[in-house]
Amino acid sequence: MSRDLRKKAGYTYTFLSDPKAEVIRRYDLLHPGAGVNGQDIARPAEFLLDSSGAVRWANLTEDFRVRARPEQVMEAAEALK
Amino acid sequence: MNSRRWNWHLWAGFVVCLVAFASYFFVFVRFPVARDVPWANFLLFGTGIAFLSFGLKRAFGQSQQYRGKVAGSILSLLSLISVGFFCFLIFYQTRQLPASAGAPRIGQRAPEFVLPDSDNNPVSLSSLLSTPLPNSQAPPKGVLLVFYRGYW
Repeated sequence: MSRDLRKKAGYTYTFLSDPKAEVIRRYDLLHPGAGVNGQDIARPAEFLLDSSGAVRWANLTEDFRVRARPEQVMEAAEALK
Repeated sequence: MNSRRWNWHLWAGFVVCLVAFASYFFVFVRFPVARDVPWANFLLFGTGIAFLSFGLKRAFGQSQQYRGKVAGSILSLLSLISVGFFCFLIFYQTRQLPASAGAPRIGQRAPEFVLPDSDNNPVSLSSLLSTPLPNSQAPPKGVLLVFYRGYW
């Protein structure tokens, strides 16, 4: 995500760029050719990791219109405390 | 000159169906409650079809008073196509996702990575897990990784 777009939108969290989809592939999230111009993109997914890097909650939506709500993520985050 | 009345219900129904289709992508996607199951759009489609049905009844049932047999048939067909296409997108297309069987599962370690942030500095997963947040001394209790669909 470009720095300017991020500033404009006011996001404070870290945005990382994976232009060759290397990490996307490492996580087996590749959706080949699904981009607007036929590029390979990621299918949507969220992973909540604890301080050791282990996955404690994962959401691989079956329908890309339906994403995890913030409340669901917060609930999962509470369990990390 | 033929003085049959204009069958406005047919046109209203068609326009409402178009709005029903387009409004999902421009308006209702912003609200999860209306995005996950498109209730608002179903209501709009229902309204549009009701108008069309009423108009068709008049066009064919009271054809001496109302116009619209041809227009009504065409508009109704187009509207049904829009309903069909909408349902195809919402119930089929958006579910066409890869299986991702190799994605990290609960209990597994998430694979390490190093990627550039928006200032082009390399950021590793291990640094995200160990670097304390601005107003704290301890490392974070966790990290949320979000993979976005799409491309900037």
